[in-house]
Amino acid sequence: MSKEHKWLDLQPYLRREPITLALLTGLAIVLFAAVTGIARLYQAQEDALAERWSSRGADDLKAANYAAAVVDFRTSLLYARDDYSYQLNLALALVGENRFDEAEAYLENLWELQPENGLVNLELARVAVARKQAGRAIRYYNNAIYAVWPGGQDAERRATRLEFINYLLRTDAKAQADSQLIAMAGNLNDDPKQHEQAGQLFLQAQDYQRALDQFRLALRRDRRNQEALAGAGDAAFKLGEYAQAEHYLEAAVDNGDKTEESQLRIARLVIEMDPFRQQISTADRDRIALDAFGAAGARLQACTAPGPFNVPAATLVSLTQDWTSLKPQMTEQQLRRNPDLASTAMQLVFDIEHQTSGLCGSSTDTDNALLLISNMHQGM
Amino acid sequence: MTNLQSGALAESPLAQDVDAETGSSSSLLGSVFREDRFFLVLSVFIGVFSGLAVVCFRFAIDWCRIYILGSGVQLSTVRLLVAPTVTGLIIAFLVIHFFPRARGSGVNQTKAALFIYNGYIPIRTAIGKFITAALAMGSGQSLGPEDPSLQIGAALASAIGRRLRLSRDRMRLIAPVGAAAGLAAAFNAPISAVLFVIEEVIGRWTAGILGSVVLAAVSSVVVLRWFFGSEALFRIPTVQMKQPSELIAYAILGIIGGLGSVALSSGITYLRPRCRQAPEWTQYFQPALAGLLIGVIAALGAPQVMGAGYTYMDEAMHGQFTWQFLAILAVLKIVATLLSFVSGTPGGMFAPTLFIGCMFGAAVGGAQHAIFPHLPWSPGTYALVGMGVLFAGFLRVPMTSVFMVLEVSGNYSIILPVIVANTFAYVISRTLQPNAIFDILTRQDGLDLPSMEEQREENILRIEDAMRSSPEPILDAEELAGWSAHLADGSMPDVLLVRLHPSGWSSITRAELQSLIDEDKDGIDPAARFAERQLPFLHPDQPLEVALRYVDRWPLIPVVSRADFSKLEGVVTEHDVLERYRDFAGE
Repeated sequence: MSKEHKWLDLQPYLRREPITLALLTGLAIVLFAAVTGIARLYQAQEDALAERWSSRGADDLKAANYAAAVVDFRTSLLYARDDYSYQLNLALALVGENRFDEAEAYLENLWELQPENGLVNLELARVAVARKQAGRAIRYYNNAIYAVWPGGQDAERRATRLEFINYLLRTDAKAQADSQLIAMAGNLNDDPKQHEQAGQLFLQAQDYQRALDQFRLALRRDRRNQEALAGAGDAAFKLGEYAQAEHYLEAAVDNGDKTEESQLRIARLVIEMDPFRQQISTADRDRIALDAFGAAGARLQACTAPGPFNVPAATLVSLTQDWTSLKPQMTEQQLRRNPDLASTAMQLVFDIEHQTSGLCGSSTDTDNALLLISNMHQGM
Repeated sequence: MTNLQSGALAESPLAQDVDAETGSSSSLLGSVFREDRFFLVLSVFIGVFSGLAVVCFRFAIDWCRIYILGSGVQLSTVRLLVAPTVTGLIIAFLVIHFFPRARGSGVNQTKAALFIYNGYIPIRTAIGKFITAALAMGSGQSLGPEDPSLQIGAALASAIGRRLRLSRDRMRLIAPVGAAAGLAAAFNAPISAVLFVIEEVIGRWTAGILGSVVLAAVSSVVVLRWFFGSEALFRIPTVQMKQPSELIAYAILGIIGGLGSVALSSGITYLRPRCRQAPEWTQYFQPALAGLLIGVIAALGAPQVMGAGYTYMDEAMHGQFTWQFLAILAVLKIVATLLSFVSGTPGGMFAPTLFIGCMFGAAVGGAQHAIFPHLPWSPGTYALVGMGVLFAGFLRVPMTSVFMVLEVSGNYSIILPVIVANTFAYVISRTLQPNAIFDILTRQDGLDLPSMEEQREENILRIEDAMRSSPEPILDAEELAGWSAHLADGSMPDVLLVRLHPSGWSSITRAELQSLIDEDKDGIDPAARFAERQLPFLHPDQPLEVALRYVDRWPLIPVVSRADFSKLEGVVTEHDVLERYRDFAGE
């Protein structure tokens, strides 16, 4: 077959194919343009529907109408399947409905997409709290604290940390709560409210020194801050700094806080009834020892008397005997003659108060004060 | 296929034979190759057009749903009952009066186009399918968009082929090309679509069509992703299998999926012909009744069974239903799909199959977690495996089922549970329901299309089945001295095989041998003569049909080892081949 013949054979194709391909290309372009137009219409409608349902959902969520919000956000996701905020809102609504399994499934998906999202971590932590999964709760709370938050990062982080601390305190994880509190306290601004709140939390975490520091910081800006005064008094009291406690509690009571009166009374009694305090005359010390001895005897008598408390006799018998045998010696004269007698008497008083506090229930302010004095001096 | 040595090709009788078959015209060869290339380019356009059609189909389904059922997910009871019923009446009217070929799923119609109608699918069928299937799914009928997309793609391809006046061979192949494009766009999964079309529609792997199918599938998916993005049908969760002991649960899932498949296919087998044989006037009401009953199921608390259900599959994958509810949904979906399909409502079976499998999978996973809470589990993994299970059990496309899950999940670590569960489902389904659903539908429609499942597993006859041991003696072309001795002893058969050097085979009759010896005496080289009379040779593993091309022209065909062409394994004759075929037909 010659080259000329081959060319003649191919000519029909060369004529037909380019035209066919050009026509097909043109048709494809026209159809593509038409479908693009339809797609825009479709997309606009989808967006509008998604927006409409999500705004309904937001209203329902705000009104705590969680069941309706779930339906609304589910519908909005029908039109914007991958929208992060709709999914998050749906998860929030599900949490509100206590549908934790479903909420958790959504939140975990969102977490996979944005593990650094603060709100998702916080919600996962809340779900874990609700499901009593302490390990997960702690992990997600920690994530949330160090996560990315839209807008005011510091405020969100502080609020998250506060929620975490409250959770730790509720679960009696005081050491962990204290460490979170220390971290939080380092980032507080001058707002006395924040210091006061931190002080209260330190009090709950039994970190009284830091609680007192926070209350003092709060009082620096407002000396008459009722809560800060009471808190500072309480913290000082718990620290055994009764003079300071008396100072703060007195101010609080003067400002009208009657709830602190009882603690103030005890603080005063502690100060007054402590025979070992410095700058006290021997006569005063003896008098205090006599009063304390008497109070302890009364407490012992009340405790051993037949009543609602069925105290085992053996526990308090020896104390009663000790008290009875010491009683004749407990006069001002004897105390003056024998300087060690006051110490012996006070040791017995402390033993009586300790034993009876565990066995005999409520006691008088004097007994409470003696017990605190005992605690104060046992470490000496 | 010839097995002649390359050096002998030009002069061999077989080479001449090939030349004769191709019309002895290089221009004709050129035109064939040119059409091949053009067909490949055309496949890309078919993919683009099918992709655009499927995009519009998806828009249409969504618009129908919004305008018929409303834009919300919670519908009033009245709407749930009325909307599918009224739409069912409209669909029945359209199908009966305007688009009678739009009934059913569309897979068999595409197969029929390939095997019966020379690739012809009327464009009216595509239009009808588009409208009626969109209305059906939009009104909540429990059907899917994949099979209609497949048929729409095939019909578009057929229309383009007719317009371009392609040859009959090309026209036959063009429907599967369009089908692959349509299915790929509907699934957003080109590999699964190609495999399905090869596995279920064409039924065999042929290099001639594979390239076109792949190009069409890929281009349609590119178009789809242009409009919808590259995200899969579902938000794929983290897929994992943490402990080998989980395979037990997957095996159980396979068993449940196999039984579910049998339930669905048996229901269709039993109910579909009865619905079609019902009085003609009832045809107007069947889709409406199916719609009403599905509406009742939805109103009773399971609206998830309406439509294709992809949203709910997504939710099941993310653990948003209890396992008990998932199991109920799977059963209700079987009922709803049965109702929709046997009523003749146009729509596909793929999405319901995926839905049922997904729900079964997530339910089995959830149950396992409830019974053994300490074992790790991921609902998404079970749901994905469940999808494959129903694909393998109901549609009986085991290879597609495995690749579909892998492609959708994008995670190959899931392959072990998929294979385990699919094997169980496939075996159970085959045991309890010997015929595949597409074959059943074909026969119910009065057609006799080749069963792809039977074809796959058909015992084919090979050369070794007809071969007999080599005759003695075999002569070597160079050893002329020994030939006369054979002639003299009278034991020589009528035809002798001659081994040529360095390679090749020939044959000679007793008379020819005598004549050759005489000529040799005159100084003619017999080896040179044999080189011009080479025999084609065969290998034992080749299909027996290959032998049919040669046995009528040569009395004896050597069967040689693939490793050593000079080592004779046996011979075949025309009588042997025909005898073997006769025996096989008798079996």
